[in-house]
Amino acid sequence: MAYPYTHERETRVISRGFGEPEARTLDGWKALGGYQGLKKALEMGRAEVIDVVKASGLRGRGGAGFPTGVKWSFMPQEKQGPHYLLCNADESEPGTFKDRELMRWTPHQVIEGCLIAAYAIQAEHVYIYCRGEFFETNQVIARAVEEAYEAGLAGEDILGSGVTIDVTVHQGAGAYICGEETALMESVEGRRGLPRVKPPFPAAVGVFGKPSTINNVETLCAVPHIVVHGGEWYRQWGTDESPGTKLFCVSGHVRRKGNFELPMGFPLEDLLYDVCGGFEKGRKLKAVIPGGSSVPFMTAEDCKDCSLSYEGVVEKGSMLGCASVMVMDDRTNIVKQVRRTVDFFAHESCGQCTPCREGTTWLSRILLRIERGKGTEEDLDTLVDLGRQMTGTTICVLSDSAAAPVISSIEKFRDDYLALIRRGEAVGTA
Amino acid sequence: MGDNGHDSDTVTLTIDGLEVTVPKGTTILQAAEALGNRIPHYCYHPGLSAPAQCRLCLVEVEGAPKLAPSCVTDAQDGQVVHTESESAKGMRQGVLEFYLANHPLDCPICDQSGECKLQDYVFEEGRKHGRSREPKRVFGRDDFGGDVLFYGDRCVMCTRCVRFMDEMAQDPRLTVVERGNRSIIDTFFEEGVEGSPYSGNIVDICPVGALVSKDFLHKARAWDLDHTPSICPNCSQGCNIDLHTRDNLVQRLKPRPNLDVNEYWMCDYGRHRYEWMNRGDRIEVPLVRRDDGHEATDWPGVLEPLLESLREGKGPVRAVASPFVSNEALAALASLVEALGGGEIVFRSARADTEIPLPGFPKLTRRHDLVPNRRGAEILGMTRVGSDDGSSGLDELADHRGTLLVLGDELADLGPDFGARASLYLYLGSHPTPAATAADFVLPITTHAEEEGTFTNYEGRVQRFWPALQGPGAARPAWLPLSLLAARMEGTRSPSRVDEAFLRAGELAPEFRGLAYESIGTRGALVNEPAVLPEG
Amino acid sequence: MSETRKPPERESIPFRNPGWAGNTGEFELSEREVRGDDYVGTRPADGGHPSRATSYPYMLEKKDPSAPLFSGSYRERYEKILTRYPDTRAALLPVLNLAQELRGHISQETMTEVGALLDLSDAYVRGVTTFYTMYNKRPVGRFLIQVCTNVSCNLCGADDVLEAFLEHTGTELGGTSTDGLFTVMEVECLAACGFPTAVQINSRYYESIEPGDVPALLKHLREQGAE
Repeated sequence: MAYPYTHERETRVISRGFGEPEARTLDGWKALGGYQGLKKALEMGRAEVIDVVKASGLRGRGGAGFPTGVKWSFMPQEKQGPHYLLCNADESEPGTFKDRELMRWTPHQVIEGCLIAAYAIQAEHVYIYCRGEFFETNQVIARAVEEAYEAGLAGEDILGSGVTIDVTVHQGAGAYICGEETALMESVEGRRGLPRVKPPFPAAVGVFGKPSTINNVETLCAVPHIVVHGGEWYRQWGTDESPGTKLFCVSGHVRRKGNFELPMGFPLEDLLYDVCGGFEKGRKLKAVIPGGSSVPFMTAEDCKDCSLSYEGVVEKGSMLGCASVMVMDDRTNIVKQVRRTVDFFAHESCGQCTPCREGTTWLSRILLRIERGKGTEEDLDTLVDLGRQMTGTTICVLSDSAAAPVISSIEKFRDDYLALIRRGEAVGTA
Repeated sequence: MGDNGHDSDTVTLTIDGLEVTVPKGTTILQAAEALGNRIPHYCYHPGLSAPAQCRLCLVEVEGAPKLAPSCVTDAQDGQVVHTESESAKGMRQGVLEFYLANHPLDCPICDQSGECKLQDYVFEEGRKHGRSREPKRVFGRDDFGGDVLFYGDRCVMCTRCVRFMDEMAQDPRLTVVERGNRSIIDTFFEEGVEGSPYSGNIVDICPVGALVSKDFLHKARAWDLDHTPSICPNCSQGCNIDLHTRDNLVQRLKPRPNLDVNEYWMCDYGRHRYEWMNRGDRIEVPLVRRDDGHEATDWPGVLEPLLESLREGKGPVRAVASPFVSNEALAALASLVEALGGGEIVFRSARADTEIPLPGFPKLTRRHDLVPNRRGAEILGMTRVGSDDGSSGLDELADHRGTLLVLGDELADLGPDFGARASLYLYLGSHPTPAATAADFVLPITTHAEEEGTFTNYEGRVQRFWPALQGPGAARPAWLPLSLLAARMEGTRSPSRVDEAFLRAGELAPEFRGLAYESIGTRGALVNEPAVLPEG
Repeated sequence: MSETRKPPERESIPFRNPGWAGNTGEFELSEREVRGDDYVGTRPADGGHPSRATSYPYMLEKKDPSAPLFSGSYRERYEKILTRYPDTRAALLPVLNLAQELRGHISQETMTEVGALLDLSDAYVRGVTTFYTMYNKRPVGRFLIQVCTNVSCNLCGADDVLEAFLEHTGTELGGTSTDGLFTVMEVECLAACGFPTAVQINSRYYESIEPGDVPALLKHLREQGAE
């Protein structure tokens, strides 16, 4: 295998083209069995495609983990006017770098997934909302879409089935919040990316006011394989509640960082110490953020016997999110990293809801003061209290996401804060 | 839930222990309002879309996992809502604290102070002490052009102004620029809202002191102002307004909601034409002509000789009315003319070439007719003469040799020899004018801001206004002396109250028949659609 | 597949990092293969197939702030963009992208022109433009260097990398160097967390950058800039 970081414990279903330049091309992808899923789906019929995806138990890989087949079934059966499929390729959750890899190594896998999903929900147009910063990835996926059109796999009368599905690569322009599904819709419509109030849900009123479904890149990548091999086949991996394989994006202080495709329910400690090769000599685990910046911290203690499934991580007081495992060893200055995380949310808050607009900046200012040794113990109470005031009170969950690391870090790493407050000494340098 | 078990167009829910039945599709916030419970809110405005972003109207709905924004959550049958529960109140206190984190707290120099929703809500439920020790964000002040000044630091980002310009004015010159904590309301660089004919409304709907009127800037404190319901006199739309007064001067006009006429809005043209109501040069006492000019007298001193003159009969009657006076005054004038044997009544009224509709509610339009009561005058059989600037058309009358009556028209285009040839010239007006020089009798009358009465708008809606100012000296509502004269001529009883005077209009014109002050109320009533009222 | 593929010929690279994770010693691909340059090929100036005309692959290194909106092949691309959306408003982001590709930043005039093209108010265009961080509201250097300092990179020393870029370009954060070549900014997570520190320079990602790589990288860019 050419991909730099691979491990024998990986199960490479959607990542098998990584590191293979040929897999990018239409011919290369077809050689790997590509577009068999689309062909089969068109033969099966819409209802059956949805049933297969339902049977597989595939859950949304964008973070929320909502069952994909169920989501598709919310779309109106009787079509009145256009339906849209949106492919959420606005990957920007800190710690997450799987969608970019999927798109630049296996663009046709993404497109095939999009086409099957669009067929299942009767969408005639797919917008692949690709993150703006991904100039290179964008070129690759755009070229692949063009290839698909040239080969009659997209556009009118796909594979002679009479089905028409257009695909457009839509490039974002730099806004984390556009990864939120309704903000993404606003952005596709040419507006400021402000999340919408739900209800109405996208399946009723989505992009351009029409029924829409939005799926993450990784979710859509799993779809062709599920259609080809069946729902049961996908369930051979993972747990009952979290079937299948998942890309785990590991970053931070491990020897081997990277994307690893593992069955759901994989032990977190095995991921850290075996697959990723553990820590540099003399270093030990301090904290893990298992699902990207938005989820609560886990301590080394929490990581013991933690199963990397949606339910397994919740049991340990955090969330799997999009499985972006950020690992911190004992060099880490938790206060600084929490402050940096909150800075990020303050920078990316869309600014509609008051608790988020004002709260993220306020949190970040208090944290900066503490980081500089000018904090008080009262500040910690204020931080937790503000965090609670920011949780569950806004339109989208960005506000909750900003509060989660603050509240959980004060709970779990209070000593780090106190060292700065009482003695002006930071624990850790990184 | 839904015990009544039948399909119905209403839902019944419980809010803070009180049951209320509302039409389907009513939001919780509106249902609470029906109970008299005003749930705090900023971004929601009944005339605009609701983005549910201020997060102040969150309420606890039993069985829901999170607090629900009451402005966009439909009331459901059987729902149990708490607006005063621990969680709802705690959340509001938290959100208010966030609002204050960067607020400058410059209430002492803020025009909104006293009518500010941030002040009100924080006073009611806010924390006693703010916890923020961090430096505040500073945006400063920006001139938005027109009559609008923007104080960025006071802004609560409710975006009502942006939505008004977008949805109602459909002239999207305001936007939120930047995002997150750096976001701020702005126009396209220096463009501003100048020339946008309804932009003054953004000052009204701003719940705080972020958007303020330049005209009103530092002019008066909100708590010193008296609010009197009135009708905008600047065109025939008849927008419902409040006159805000202090020290017997009109300080500003504000729209008063009336969904049938102007919704929640008014145009800038009307809003900024109030200074004439404050004019100090007034006819303050009745005047009687002597050889060397007018002599001041009192009402008995003028009415007796006037009545005498009228009884003598001074030849054919011609009259000039004004579309700025009330239906009551016009009816009284018509009665008097009738009592004198009848004669043509004309009026002059300015007319603009264009109308200026509010695109989001086109029923509200700055009308062609720049006067409030053209329709009333026409219903009472009066004829419009003159040109579109409200002048000329009276050449023939100027030399009239019989009885000449003038009500309310200032005759600004006419000179001191107007009416000089008339055998009897009676002038009723508010402001001194050279054209009254030749008048035998001059009666001081109040303006619509100083009296109670009604106007009939372009579509025939009769709407009431109330006295906001004290008229000067001996000035009286015009209907009073006119009806008195008419009654004395005919030997009948004169109306002593304005509502009685209005009923006189119904006797003269069938269109007004059946209408009465009780049925007109504060919302107005259309002519030809009389409400059923007990006879007499 | 890798068994049948011929080992690629190593291109000569000006510095240690070939652009992607090459310093692991395990990776045998050339930079072009990693980036897919061969696959993408030369992108037609008119945007190629309409489905891809909405994306823009390049920030032109030579920018022309007074370039017309739009003419020639750019006009074709603009028209293709319009065919992909049910209304003109939705074309706003791609059209702003196109304008920035040509002009390098979105000035007040550009907002007005784009608004006129798409029948949107100037203020509306400004609101949208300022919401998205990738629209440069003022001119930037020929090389826009964006260093990710978010947590994953930060843990691995991103602050030092940023410091090195500032030091070696002689600029302040967000400022442009006196020779007009470099603008250095912080950027939020670039989604290359496995390869810290990730740096984006114009449209290209440079991954696994360490402070020591910075001088050679800048030298390489200066040579490009002198061309």
